[in-house]
Amino acid sequence: MTIKVSPAGNIELIGICSSDEGEVLLQHLLATPHMMVDWRACEAAHTAVIQVLMATRPGLLGPPAALLLEKWVQPVLAATMDK
Amino acid sequence: MDPQKTILVVDDASLVRLYYRTTLEGAGFHVEEAMNGLEALEKLLTFPVHLMIVDINMPQMDGLTFLQAVRRKDRALASIPALVTSTESAAADFEAARVAGANYYLVKPIDQPRLREFADLLCGVRR
Amino acid sequence: MNEFLTQFVIESRELVEQATEGLLVLEHSPHDAERLDSVFRAFHTLKGGAGIVEFAAMERAVHAAEEILSGARAGKRTLTTALVGDCLACLDQVIQWLDAVEQTGELPSSAANTKADDTWLADMLERNPEVRAQVATALQFIPDPDCFYQGEDPLARITALPELLALDVQPMAAWPALNSFDPYKCNLVLTALTAASMGEVTAHMHGHSGTCEIQTISDVRTTPPASALPAQARNILTEQRAMLSHATAANLAGFVASAGLAAGNALRSCALAETAAIIAQATESSLSANSPEPLRHAISQLLSPTPAAVTETTKVSSKPEATAQTLRIDARRVDALVRLTGELTVAKNAAGHVAKLAQQEGNAIAGLLKDRQVVLERLIAELQESVLGMRVLPLRSVLQRFPRVVREMSLNLGKPLTLEIEGDDTEADKAIVEMLFEPLLHIVRNAIDHGIESLGERAARGKPPTARIRIRAARQADQVIIEISDDGGGIDVDRVREIARTRGVATEEELRLMPEMDIIDLVFAAGFSTAAKVTELSGRGVGLDAVRTAVERIGGRVSLESRAGDGATVRFSLPFSVMMTQVMTVEASGQMFGVPLDAIVETVSVPRTAIVGIGAAHAIVLRNRTVPVVDLAAILGLREAMSGETDATIVITSVAGHFGGLHVDRIGQRLEVILKPLDGLLTGMPGITGTTLLGDGRVLLVLDIGELLQ
Repeated sequence: MTIKVSPAGNIELIGICSSDEGEVLLQHLLATPHMMVDWRACEAAHTAVIQVLMATRPGLLGPPAALLLEKWVQPVLAATMDK
Repeated sequence: MDPQKTILVVDDASLVRLYYRTTLEGAGFHVEEAMNGLEALEKLLTFPVHLMIVDINMPQMDGLTFLQAVRRKDRALASIPALVTSTESAAADFEAARVAGANYYLVKPIDQPRLREFADLLCGVRR
Repeated sequence: MNEFLTQFVIESRELVEQATEGLLVLEHSPHDAERLDSVFRAFHTLKGGAGIVEFAAMERAVHAAEEILSGARAGKRTLTTALVGDCLACLDQVIQWLDAVEQTGELPSSAANTKADDTWLADMLERNPEVRAQVATALQFIPDPDCFYQGEDPLARITALPELLALDVQPMAAWPALNSFDPYKCNLVLTALTAASMGEVTAHMHGHSGTCEIQTISDVRTTPPASALPAQARNILTEQRAMLSHATAANLAGFVASAGLAAGNALRSCALAETAAIIAQATESSLSANSPEPLRHAISQLLSPTPAAVTETTKVSSKPEATAQTLRIDARRVDALVRLTGELTVAKNAAGHVAKLAQQEGNAIAGLLKDRQVVLERLIAELQESVLGMRVLPLRSVLQRFPRVVREMSLNLGKPLTLEIEGDDTEADKAIVEMLFEPLLHIVRNAIDHGIESLGERAARGKPPTARIRIRAARQADQVIIEISDDGGGIDVDRVREIARTRGVATEEELRLMPEMDIIDLVFAAGFSTAAKVTELSGRGVGLDAVRTAVERIGGRVSLESRAGDGATVRFSLPFSVMMTQVMTVEASGQMFGVPLDAIVETVSVPRTAIVGIGAAHAIVLRNRTVPVVDLAAILGLREAMSGETDATIVITSVAGHFGGLHVDRIGQRLEVILKPLDGLLTGMPGITGTTLLGDGRVLLVLDIGELLQ
């Protein structure tokens, strides 16, 4: 289970999120649109998952655990948020 | 003024040969064409060539086989620089071309500015 | 249209035909490896051509199909009917594009690059000034929408690029509404800048699913100040050094000499003549020492160390293809040749006339002249045959469109069908081949739509569920015969009779007396159509009469034979070689006639009074020459000699050296027609050389001027 809802009410991305999680994440966000996404424990995320984040633009709680994600993907998501 | 350089274009697709011809003639080169390795060998024996542009994937005699044969001939032919082209972009393809005696390798399609640039460099033309 | 586009259109059309043929076969035998390979290559070459003319949309579309076939080739998927359909749909789109290109002379503007302009590169470099100096390569990667299903993770791939300096990710199209958003459809454009070389980036991106554009940033880099080496020159030098390490005893001289030349040239091209001289010297040293080392060392001196190349093992295989033994010739050149041959014939005839005159006058040379004339006749006849033979094409180009047609109709109507084609290598004149498709299409559609029964009916009649259509072509003497047979229900003679009666195509009395064969032939009559409902497939009820008119225009015949309950056969009988004649139309007494153009010298308009009577005949004086004039309408028995008009229009003709004038009401236009020799009622009618059918169905009588003016 790499996507779950924390007691605090955030959607958490934990560990390695594969492509399948994309659909799961989308469903969560559709059901509860104002939830923040907490990816501080995220080690890796498939493009499908990142794509969902780009399209839905939820609030993000970071930085993500993986350096690659922090260095390259976070700025992309930040830019998306600005629009 | 440099004397005019001759480039031999070896590719089985006539559209490609036309494209190279137009681009290179426009840059002041003399262009000869061959549809396959066999024809290319004949042309090499007929006129002085300053650069060969060879496509790998051709029927009858593919580009690399042709190149290997050329590199074994006497100096006049064997020393002609060869620019090898292909649609493949794997490192192994670069390597295979090198082993066959290519002096450079470009992945198709090659745009006109790049084609002219390499033609100039490999023929020693100053602009 | 520029040269590239013309060539591109011609070649692409051929490739589409090749691919279509292959796909239809593959549908029935999806494991035919050779066929799969050839279809894949067709798509691959199509894509390459689109790349050269920078037709980005076509490149992308064809790429999608190429991916399907590539997957099938690799055994990753089987080619289902649906997938074949997708590939065929792609080809349909390509044909549409090609037609548009041919019409407008340029690429369709809507199909031009969408995001693939080079502005992406400039933008990206501008937005990342802090790394600008280190950038060696830039790329833009647009993954296929369904790449996730193929295990591709675009972001992972790009973030793993060696020496990545900057990354930008944008949506390709605006994000759809969230409840219709498919997270598994990739909608991203990834743009990256890296310090890695083009070769490294290309190798890293190998096997990607999508379109990827990689650009080298040519710039002066910070190198040892002694020699400012431009990036590409540096790349070339590096490459020579790598290549030298592969030299063997057998090709050492070749490797060393060409590497030295390549390196030296690159330096010379950058105005580094002295450095080039050093390389040249090193080359000679290597050659005399029979070792690559001196040259390698010299090159290394000029460069800073570079990383070694990566090695993988994949194999590049190529399959030999047959080379064609044909020449491409513009059809207009062949037409010009045909016209020339026609003129030669006229000239030959004129010479023959002189020879005859000479004989009549007892001239001594007459005999010699006659002999030469015979030789000329033979040569010209051969030439004409040869030239007409150049315009001959195999029927294949027309017939090969039918498998597709039949397949579609079969799917649309739910009637399983097989199509057999025999004799598609039968040849016929270009004019015939060009007009055949429409009539044949009409016949085939009719057969499938009306002739072939539904599955249920066929079962009830004990017929095999898959109906059979057969197209058979063959040459018979000077005719080309094409038969389209089906194993449907044949023609319902009673229905034909009834419809003919209802539509007034024949009277009750006529119908009673008509033999069955003639009743069946009524389907070709004007105003007839047996469609109970005019389906979209069989056309707008234009009818088989249009087919018959089209066929008769080129001098052919079409007939229908029916076997009640068993099927029907439509038979086309067409002339093998077709001679086009140029005529000028003229009007006399309200009727139109054709005058062969090669008999016309000029047309003049003279005052009525200029026509003088000489006995029973008339004449005018034209440039000091007396030219006999006849009134066309009068001579054809259409009316009395004309009078009353102030000016007379006269067509001056010359046949076998004799001048004459045809007095007509009006001059029409020039036409190129196919002459049908006289038959039936018109046989033996003097002054007529043949007839032709005009576009509107009217018959034009073409005059024999020689006979007319005698």
